[in-house]
This record gives sequence, structure tokens and C-alpha cells, in this order.
Amino acid sequence: MSINEKLKQIGEEAKKTISIVDTIHDLNNEKARYLGKKGLMAEFMKMMKDATIEEKKEIGKASNEVKQLITKLLDERKEYIENKKVEEKLASESLDVTLPGKISNVGVRHILNQVTEELEDLFIGMGYIIQEGPEIEIDEFNFEKLNLPKDHPARDMQDSFYISDELLLRTHTSPVQVRTMLEYGGKEAIKIVCPGKVYRRDDDDATHSHQFMQFEALVVDKMTTLSDLKGTLLEFAKKLFGDDRSIRLRPSYFPFTEPSMEVDVSCSKCGGSGCNMCKGTGWIEVLGAGMVNNNVLELCGYDSKIYQGFALGMGVERIAMLKYGIDDIRHFYTNDLRFLKQFK
Amino acid sequence: MKVSYKWLNEFVDVDIPYEELGNKFSLMSQEVAGVYSLTDATKIVVGHIISKEKHPDAEKLSVCQVDVGHPVQIVCGAPNVETGQKVIVALVGAVLAGFKIKKAKIRGVESNGMICSLNELGIDKKYVDTSGIYVLPENSKIGSNPLEVLSLDDEVMELDLTPNRGDLLSVMGVAYDTAAILNKELMLKVPQIVEVDEVIDFKIKIETKKCMSYYARVIKNVEIKESPDWLKARLIAAGVRPINNVVDITNYVMLETGQPLHAFDLDKFETREVVVRTANDDEVIKTLDGQDRNLLVDDIVITNGKVPTALGGVMGGYDTEIDEHTKYVLLESATFDPISIRKTSSRLDLRSESSMRFERGVDPNRTILALNRASEMFQNLASGKVLSGVSNVENNNLDDKEIKIDLTYVINYVGYNYSVDDIESVFDALNFEYSRDNESFILSIPSRRKDLVTKQDLIEEIVRIHGYDKIPLTLPKTVSRGGLTTSQLRRRKIRNLLQGFGMDEVISYSLINKDNLYDFTIEETNYTELLKPMSIDKSVMRHTPLNGLIDALKHNIARKNKDLSLFEIGSKYLDTEKMAVCGVLSGVQNQLSWKGNYESVDFYYVKGIIESLLSNLDVEVKYAKPEKTNVNFHPGQTVYIYQNNNLIGFIGKLHPKYQALNDLNDTFIFELVLDDIKFQEEINKFESIQKYPSMERDIAIVVNRDISASLVLDTIKKAGKKLLKDITIFDIYTGENVGESEKSIALKLVFMDKERTLETEEVTERVNKIIKVLEKEINAKLRD
Ligand SMILES: [Zn+2]
Repeated sequence: MSINEKLKQIGEEAKKTISIVDTIHDLNNEKARYLGKKGLMAEFMKMMKDATIEEKKEIGKASNEVKQLITKLLDERKEYIENKKVEEKLASESLDVTLPGKISNVGVRHILNQVTEELEDLFIGMGYIIQEGPEIEIDEFNFEKLNLPKDHPARDMQDSFYISDELLLRTHTSPVQVRTMLEYGGKEAIKIVCPGKVYRRDDDDATHSHQFMQFEALVVDKMTTLSDLKGTLLEFAKKLFGDDRSIRLRPSYFPFTEPSMEVDVSCSKCGGSGCNMCKGTGWIEVLGAGMVNNNVLELCGYDSKIYQGFALGMGVERIAMLKYGIDDIRHFYTNDLRFLKQFK
Repeated sequence: MKVSYKWLNEFVDVDIPYEELGNKFSLMSQEVAGVYSLTDATKIVVGHIISKEKHPDAEKLSVCQVDVGHPVQIVCGAPNVETGQKVIVALVGAVLAGFKIKKAKIRGVESNGMICSLNELGIDKKYVDTSGIYVLPENSKIGSNPLEVLSLDDEVMELDLTPNRGDLLSVMGVAYDTAAILNKELMLKVPQIVEVDEVIDFKIKIETKKCMSYYARVIKNVEIKESPDWLKARLIAAGVRPINNVVDITNYVMLETGQPLHAFDLDKFETREVVVRTANDDEVIKTLDGQDRNLLVDDIVITNGKVPTALGGVMGGYDTEIDEHTKYVLLESATFDPISIRKTSSRLDLRSESSMRFERGVDPNRTILALNRASEMFQNLASGKVLSGVSNVENNNLDDKEIKIDLTYVINYVGYNYSVDDIESVFDALNFEYSRDNESFILSIPSRRKDLVTKQDLIEEIVRIHGYDKIPLTLPKTVSRGGLTTSQLRRRKIRNLLQGFGMDEVISYSLINKDNLYDFTIEETNYTELLKPMSIDKSVMRHTPLNGLIDALKHNIARKNKDLSLFEIGSKYLDTEKMAVCGVLSGVQNQLSWKGNYESVDFYYVKGIIESLLSNLDVEVKYAKPEKTNVNFHPGQTVYIYQNNNLIGFIGKLHPKYQALNDLNDTFIFELVLDDIKFQEEINKFESIQKYPSMERDIAIVVNRDISASLVLDTIKKAGKKLLKDITIFDIYTGENVGESEKSIALKLVFMDKERTLETEEVTERVNKIIKVLEKEINAKLRD
């Protein structure tokens, strides 16, 4: 067997044995077997120690080629084994990615508070301050200072829960307006909104609730006009019910405003042509408004020869019912999660 | 108020469809609840019964041959049908109250229509007799429209009146506004009375200021009978049941003029004088409805000088009532104090058409008009003879009130550039009398309009008649900085944080059952109770929103939703109202069901929420186990929360007994009284991020089981001084490796200095000091 054949044989053997190694450990053994100090290549070189210089040169070249081949085979096999290991790990880690994940619970804010905040933000954007007041009120602030003396027939309109002769659960948030006017002392301009809970002697049914939430606005200044009120109402209607809404005012009566009016917003379902939601009229009654009665201004310390103002008020439940198509006011206070969770 | 179209047309020429007037009325006067026909019946004609035979197979049915212009055979079941009658026939194809008449065979006999009662035409039972078919006057023309014969071919406009517009409780009042809206002339009539030669001999005395005027006439030879059809039809349109001509006339005139009238049977009156006074305290009157009414000194009574004969302005007396034998009538037209009438009628729960009008105030200038109008009708419809003269006392100030208003005021108030012409045309349309000096108007306010007192009231008249739609759209010029207060912002933040912690917000009722008042409060705190609650369930104001939260919990659990985490931000009603945030949690809070991972709420889950919440709000608190709690709390799982030694809230588990009683599973609750917390006012300034490394040391100590974690932490904090930046408890152990009454606590201590890198030796020294203090103060041993 010639030297070259011998070398070739080692190379062939390496190809065979290295290609079946499966672990890095075995691969290191193979490496030692071929390229180690006592390995086959070293052995072979020892055998060649008596060769001529010419021969050694030639053999050196040939053996280097085989060493390179073996090194390459080892490297390739190493990469193969490592890849295989990664693949096996990946295969073992594979998931049914279609199974549902672990849900992070996110709560919901009550829809009435969502609507209230939306209203607050709308009016804050127009420069209004949010004012609040107590729910247990004195008769003077809830009625008398609002031009509703005792025995006034309009007190029937909001039959109340009295606690004593002078104390009651407020029937509207208007006493907050009274408190603000008294606090401002008849000198400064006022631009406020008053959200809050109110109470009336109504039996609870689909459209009545003994407790509900009101949202009122009050502007008092030297040049506040009815047209300012109308413009504000339109802003409100567009923001809450859509840009293409229009409004309509109808005469009404509240003791604390004069003139007083009901405010209709064009039906968002049919756009005004008439449908079942607006009972064919094209309009939906949404809120009440008016110019502050001079008696109220005077009773609350504002000179009605200098100051004039407007007020508007709405039931938050009604707004929410119209906006979301809710058919029963009792839903708001039953707190059934199947209801609450619908408003995210 | 329900207004007949025909009636209104006597005063104004309404030349547009009634429905259209209704729409205009809603926009310019008062809300119209609806416009509808008195009856919707179609295809009905006057028929003449030519013959009537017994039905061969049915005892109670008759087979009638009816001439309706052509002969038809109709089977009729009414007991009062007779040959020769003129009747209302609904032909085949007619629709009565939504029900269609078809050609039919009734027990084998062909029937081509139906002979009708008024009720079958759609007139409510409360206005008409329903015992049989309605028989028309003999002169009714065959084949003509019976609704025309009966004046039932009318429409009704129903107004939803606000309390200020008492003037619209009359056809005349509605006519004034209609004339203004349509810009038409108003046609008023003067009653024509032919007085007989006998002079009224009747004394009127008014002894109370609550009666401002009293007018009376006497009519004799009255013949009581049914009212004519047109009168009955109008009463029905107005929603008043026809009784007899005398009663009907007083009602008719009240509806027309707004002035309530009362007719006494003078033969039962005993005396010839009327004394109006307030009632005596022990007085009793039997009213028209047969009930005895106990009177108070506030009530107005009409007396014959001896005993009350009517409850003034509210209801007549039983003893002087008009009946079918009445011949001699005393007719009263008076005005009474609205507040007094309101008090009496509401106390006795007697709301009549009369009291309703007096409460809102009647026009004192129509008192005599109404009296004369009714007398005219007695004369024409009851063959009455009107005695000459009127007995009266008049104490009303009948002078018109004046209001001065300037054009510039109107323009500046409304924000619309009205002209003098605009204003004049509104005042003219409303039939107001006024004078004008340049741009300044002085109006003399008609007594019919009690609601017009101030300039603002006149502005409303101008705006509504001129048109709300013409007002421009502007925004207030008031410049102000809008925004939320810090407490409002904080509530929003709390709401958002709790939402982020997976809690759902509820809003519950403030009024609760008194039995539940102390469910969650600790001592006998003051409470707020309603004077007249609508029900026991809603009689007191809650002490805490927890009441409503528990209700919400129960509601959802009963509907198979057992995993709940609810909160409410709302008021506690104690001596004062205090804003609080409360929560209830029960069941599984986090889950990955297919892995079997269910994290049920426990005490520390809830405490974690509160700790995170308070830390986010920069509120530092201490937790302490209370010595005594509400009986509904679990004594071993309740903690009170203190800020600077002030109790600001608690976390707790409900007592197993309470849970069982209320069908609840393990339920945890918390309350933080926001109004009791002192919140940091200044904002947090930026602190530079730590440049030097921190050093950590773990220690484990063994202490008696009674030693609370907070005591351990407080002790370490005190001993750790400035360098100790953080402590974490990472293990608690009880068991065989420590004594029976002991526990082991493993802690991670973090040391740090902002200015420099710490030396190992100084940290070791500090840890040793901490251990020494722990040994000394809480008898801790180092565990190795
Ligand atoms: Zn519509």
C-alpha cells in the first residue's frame, strides 16, 4: 500500500466514523483518535520518519490535506450535532399556540360615570369649572333661593324626600349653583357645571328612578345671552350625539329660569325624517334649559340689572339611554355585570 | 287640557289641519301630547230600522231590515233595538276601534253590518251609556254621517301644561295663543241674557281674604234634562262626563272660560244669603261624592249663613246638589286664594277640575263673563228664567299691572337684533295693550296672564312668538380657566387604578333598609332617616357604599357569576357626607382554566390592591389589627388602616355567619374614607437615578409567633437608619425546624448611599446592629 493510499484510507475511514457520531463527547473522542498526539495521523507521521526529504515534503503536503479534511468533517459534524440539539429542544418546547392566553383582568368604569366624565370634559374644554355640593341639602338652597317658595305649585313637579322641615335629599343639582353664586358674592362671573346624584319621590320603573344623576351648567356674566345658551346647547349636542345633529328649542317652565325651554336634538337614528325612536317626529327631547330667573340672581346676591345668565340641566341616565339605546333605567342601579361589562 | 277643534274654531278661524296647529303649538306655546280624532270609525251611516224579527235560532238576537239608502239585513244583539229607530250602522268594510266589520252568517242568518253603540265607535265607556245601541234623533237623515249628527266629527288637541300657564286651562286661553301663533283675529262673544221681571234677592258676605270675589245669579223654572248632542260631544272631547244640562253647562262654561262655577239647588239652600268664611275646626261637610270631610280653619267654606253648603273652590256640598227635580238654581262664580285651595285639595286628596284651575289662578275679569255665559245657556238649554241682577262682592284689584321694557334690553338679553316692528307684532298678535315711546314699551298686562310679571316673562313671549329658531348661535364671552379640582382628579385616578387592578365599578342606591344600617359600621353612629319613606327598603341613608356593593354581589352571584371584584366611589352619610371608596371581592380573580390555574381572592390579594393604591396616591399608612370589630367581620382577618394615627379605612373578610346568611362565598371588603385622608399637596420632584451600587444582605430571624410583621419591619427600619433603603420579607416559616410557638422570617435588606459606594465592613456592621436591636426589642434570634 502506497503512502498516499494509506492516507486516503485514513481519510475514508474518518468520513465513515465521524458521520455517525451523535454527541459532542463522541466527537471529541473521534478528534483524539485521528488528530490527537497518539492519534492515527500522528502514528502515520511517526512511520514516515525515515523518508527522504523529498518524500517528506510530498507526504507532508498530502497529510496536511487529510488533516484539513478531518478537521472540516469534525467541524461540520459538530455544527450538525449542535443544530440537532437546538431543534430537539425547540420541538420539545412547541405549544398549541391556539390555546387561550392568561387574561389580565381590566375592570370597567360604570357607564354613568363614563358619560359624566365625557360631559365634564366637554365643558372643561369650553372653560367650565366642575362644582359639587352635598346631597343632603337645606330647603332654602334646594327650593327657596331658586324661586320656589313654600307652597309653590311647581314643588309638585319634583316631589321630595324630606328629612326634617328644613332638610331634604336634593331634588336637583341646582343648589350647587346657589352655593356657588353665594360664594362668589355677586361680583365675579360664573361658569360652572354641577354633576351629582339627586333624589325624587318616584316609583322605580323602566323610565323613573328615585335616585338619578344630573348634570347642570350655569353661566352668569354681564353679557350672557339666550343666543349663548343656544350655541352652547348645539356644541353639546354635536359632541355627544354626532356632528350632524341640530337642536330645537320649545317653550317650557322651570321656576328658576325665564324664559325656560325644552331642548330637542335631531334624531340620530333617522337624522330627522322620523322613525320609531323619535316617534316619527325627527326630534328627541334631551334636556331643559333657560335664562336664569332674575329672582334667583337677586336671591343669590347678583344684581339682575348688571348680571344675566343661563342654566341647562340634564339627566345623565337619559343621555346614556339615548346614546347607547338602553331601554330601562333600572339597569344602571342593578349592577348586573352582563350590563356593566358592555361599556368598556 | 283637551281642546275640541270645533270649539276652538268658535274663537279663532283655524285654517290649517289641527295636527299642524299642534306642531306649532308645541314650538310656540305649550307641549302638545297629541292630536287625535274623537273617533276613528269609518264607513258608518245613519240607518232607519224598517223591520225587526226574532232570529229563528237565537233567543237574544234580532234580524233587522235597515234602510241606509239601500236596504241591508243586519243581525243585532242589543236589547233596545226597535222598528222605526234611526241608528248608527257600520257597513261591511267599516273599521271600528281597529276591528273590521265583515259580511257574516250569524247562526245561519246573513248579516251585512253592525248597529252600534257610541262605545263601539271608540268613545270611552266613562263618557257614554254602554247598555245598548245608540238611538239617533228622529230627524237624522238616512245615509248621512252619524258622527256629524252627533257632533262627534271632531278632533282633540291634548296639551301637557306646565304649572305657570293656568290661562291655557280654558278654550278661550288656548284661543288667545292660537290667534297669536296663526296671527289671526280673536272672536270673542258677549252673552245675551233676557232677564225676567223678578229681581234677585240674595245677600253675599265675604268674611275671609281667601275669597276675593263672589258673584251669583238666580235662575228659576229650570228644566233638568239631557244636554244637546253638540254640548255632550264637547264635554267628551274635553274629557268630562256629561251628566245633565245644568251640571253640563257649569262644566262647559268652566272649560270655555277657565272660571269654575257651581250651581246650588236653591230649594235646598234654606236661606237667602251666602256667607263665605273659613271653616271652624270641628266642622264637617258632606261633599258631592257622598263623603264626610273634616275641615280645618285653613279651608274655605260657602255657607248659607248657618252651615257649609260647599267646600269653596274644591267641591260642592251633597245637601244642595242639583238633581233631576231641581227647578231653582243659585249659580256661583267666585275667585279664591290659590294657595288655600291647593292646601285643602291636597290635604283631602280632592283634585277637581275646579281646584286645579283655582290653584293656578283664574282671570278675575272672567268671573262675571262666565256667570253670564252660563246664565245664557240655562236660558237657552234648560228653559231657565234668569232673575234680574247679580249679587256680588268684589275685592280683587282689577287694575292692569304694567311692565316697562326697552328694545335694547330685549336685544342684549336674547342676542338677536329685534326691531321695534318685531316687538309690536308679537304684542299685537297676543292682543296685549301697550304704549310705545320711541324704543320703550309700557305694557298693561292682561289679567288672564298671571304668569307675566317681569321683563323676563315678556322676553319669553317675544322669543316664542317671534320664533326660537331665529335666535343665533353664539358662545359665552366669559373667559375662564376650566378644570377639575384636585379631589375630582384624584377620584378619577382612583377609578382608573382600580379599573387597572381588574375591579368593576358600580353605582348603588344611597337609601337602604334601616335593618342594614349597622352592617358595616362599628358603633352606633348617627344616621339620616326620611320623614316619609316610600318603602321600608329605602328609608335611611347608608353609612357606607358597602351596602350597595354587597347587594350587587348578591345579585350577580344569584345569576351564576361568582367571581367578582367590585368597587364604588360614593358618599357615606354620617353626621356629614364623606366621600369613600369601597370594594368587595369574592371568588377567582385570575385564571388560566385549561392549566388549572385559579387564583382565588384572599386577604393578601385585597391588601395588595390597597397598598398599591395608597402607594400610587403617595399616602403612607400603618396597619393594625383592631381590638374589636363589627360582628359581621372575621375577627382574625380584619385590619384597620391609619394615617398619622387617624383611622382612614379598613380591609376585612366577612364573618362566616354573615356570609352564610347572605348566600355569599368567602368575601373580602375594604373601605377608604377619602375625606379623612390627608393627601400630599406638593408634587414629587425628580430625584436623580442612583449612581452608586446598592448592597443586599439576607437574614433570617426566629421570633415568637405573636410578633407581627409590621413590628419586625418597624424595628428593622429604626435600627437600619439612613443607609437601609428597602426591606422585603421573602419567607415565613413555621414547623419542625423552629420552636412550637415560634416562626422564622427571612428578609432581604438593601443598603445604599446616594453619595458613594458602600464599604462591605460598614454594611456588615449595620446588619449586626440591626440584629442586636431585634434581639433586644422583640427577642429575635438569628437563624442559621
Ligand atoms: Zn328618528
